[in-house]
Amino acid sequence: MATHGTRPNYVAIWTWLVGLTLLCVGLSFAFGPRPAVVAFFFAVAVAKALLVALNYMHLKFEPRLIYAIAIVPVLFAFILTVALFPDFVLQR
Amino acid sequence: MAIRAEARAVYGIPVGKLGMWWFLASEIVMFGGLIASYVVFRIGAGGWAEDRAHTNLVIGAINTLVLLTSSMTMVQAFATGERGDQRGVIRNLGWTILLGLAFLAIKGIEYSQELSAGFTPLAAPFWSFYYTMTGLHALHVLAGIVVNTALLLMARMGLGRHDRVELGGLYWHFVDIVWIFLFPLLYMS
Repeated sequence: MATHGTRPNYVAIWTWLVGLTLLCVGLSFAFGPRPAVVAFFFAVAVAKALLVALNYMHLKFEPRLIYAIAIVPVLFAFILTVALFPDFVLQR
Repeated sequence: MAIRAEARAVYGIPVGKLGMWWFLASEIVMFGGLIASYVVFRIGAGGWAEDRAHTNLVIGAINTLVLLTSSMTMVQAFATGERGDQRGVIRNLGWTILLGLAFLAIKGIEYSQELSAGFTPLAAPFWSFYYTMTGLHALHVLAGIVVNTALLLMARMGLGRHDRVELGGLYWHFVDIVWIFLFPLLYMS
């Protein structure tokens, strides 16, 4: 948990989140859903999620057990996605 | 006899926070499974881009900004509570609730436009996933509004505790993170 003195600048984090969102919206209007642009959108989404989790959810102040509880289900979802590829994607 | 309330801890982590993170882990599995299914079906089937092109990017972007701002006011409620500023807690929780209601209202307008244009949940696989994922997310926003309203009422009655505001905030920020991924999936890809 954040304590006095170590607390992040929440408004600065919000400014980054808004800026990254507007950047992606601008790129979407300018270039449309091209593969490279869409890949950039998802990279930005991961960056925004990390900004929220680390600073607003105070994950960067938490012990490793909390990290494990948060990361293991994300890995499960990733494994599920990859495991379904042979049946639904590669047989096209 | 006086009743003494103690904040129990496991491995130095308050049990309330540990329980909330376990709950969020189950939520990650649920939304992660939905998103995984969407990605696999979309890449595997092809032809979904035409349906996706009918979602309203401007409305989606406005709702994203509304939810990001509500996360900022929510964490400010925690920060002011930590400083013992109950008026700040009440003010920031109030803003968070209002922004959550604004998100739902905008989503309702968007749904009505899509349904009136014939894009019902049964119109195409894309729309089935769209309404399932955004509908489930909207229910989570509604639950967060209920929790935040309870926290605000407790703060107004002088029963506010900043650790409870932190737990409510963890849930609210998680709902924000889910939308951060739904936005590019359903509006920009």
